[in-house]
Amino acid sequence: MMVENSPSPLPERAIYGFVLFLGSQFGFLLYVVWAFVPDDWLHSAGLTYWPQKYWALAAPIYLLVTLTTCFVLLFGVNMMNTAPLGSVDNITDRYARSQCTAEDQEGVIPRLRDVPISEINRLFYLDHHEP
Amino acid sequence: MAEEEFTDINGNSISLDCQTHSAFCREFTVTSPKLSLRKVMVYTCFIWLFAYAIFFFTENTAVLSSAILLTLAGMMIHIHFVKVDHETLLIIGSLGVQLSSSYASGRESTTFIEMSKLKDIVINEAVYMHSIIYYLCILIKDPAEPETVTSVVPLFQSSKPRLNCLVQVYRSCQEILAQTR
Repeated sequence: MMVENSPSPLPERAIYGFVLFLGSQFGFLLYVVWAFVPDDWLHSAGLTYWPQKYWALAAPIYLLVTLTTCFVLLFGVNMMNTAPLGSVDNITDRYARSQCTAEDQEGVIPRLRDVPISEINRLFYLDHHEP
Repeated sequence: MAEEEFTDINGNSISLDCQTHSAFCREFTVTSPKLSLRKVMVYTCFIWLFAYAIFFFTENTAVLSSAILLTLAGMMIHIHFVKVDHETLLIIGSLGVQLSSSYASGRESTTFIEMSKLKDIVINEAVYMHSIIYYLCILIKDPAEPETVTSVVPLFQSSKPRLNCLVQVYRSCQEILAQTR
């Protein structure tokens, strides 16, 4: 029996979503309270072990700079992963090399295969005289 | 002996010269546009004005002399190592293929590929920066294994001609290769 993966709404997904929503709202409220309430009031309420107020500004700025850097780095990674013009990966790969070269039977839809580049070039660029 | 109007992938005009030395020997020369005097003057002016601006604020004359030396050294390196004047493909049937790049300073760099190692000369399309370009390349094979492509040598890398120029070179090369198969 196969388990179907589908993106449709389910009761479990609704519960996860609501828990995430409540959690994120609470987290934001906590962040705002910690950033604005002076240290003396927090200490007098008994809450002494908090990170330094410096991080209330530093953490969002770190996050935004990281996002911008990742955006630029993504282009760089893409360009590095592109095969150079002199690479064999532009011509063939291990799947094309190890493909089945058997001839097709008569009247059958031809098998899907990778046509060698020499053949393609001859088709495209050399003039053929129609018989 | 044929010369027509061709351009490279960026739109700069280049020229192709095909010479038929004999029935099985042909030579193709792609010539890039020469170094433009206007560009050289613009770059030099920019660098020198920038250096003068730094000198204006720091009152340090070493900035000016280093800018002059930098421009001179940069120009010499550029014409000797970077700026290609023309690239040549010489194909001799049953012997091999010679590729040669001639730089603006007169330096020539040549490689030879023997016919037993040459599988085919094809026009391939590949991703280059933000676009897909056609380029002519030589498929290299190991003589012991004739069906596997071991490496690819792209041709005319500095001039990067467009498809009309490549098709002309391709057809001419295939005529010679067909004779020697």
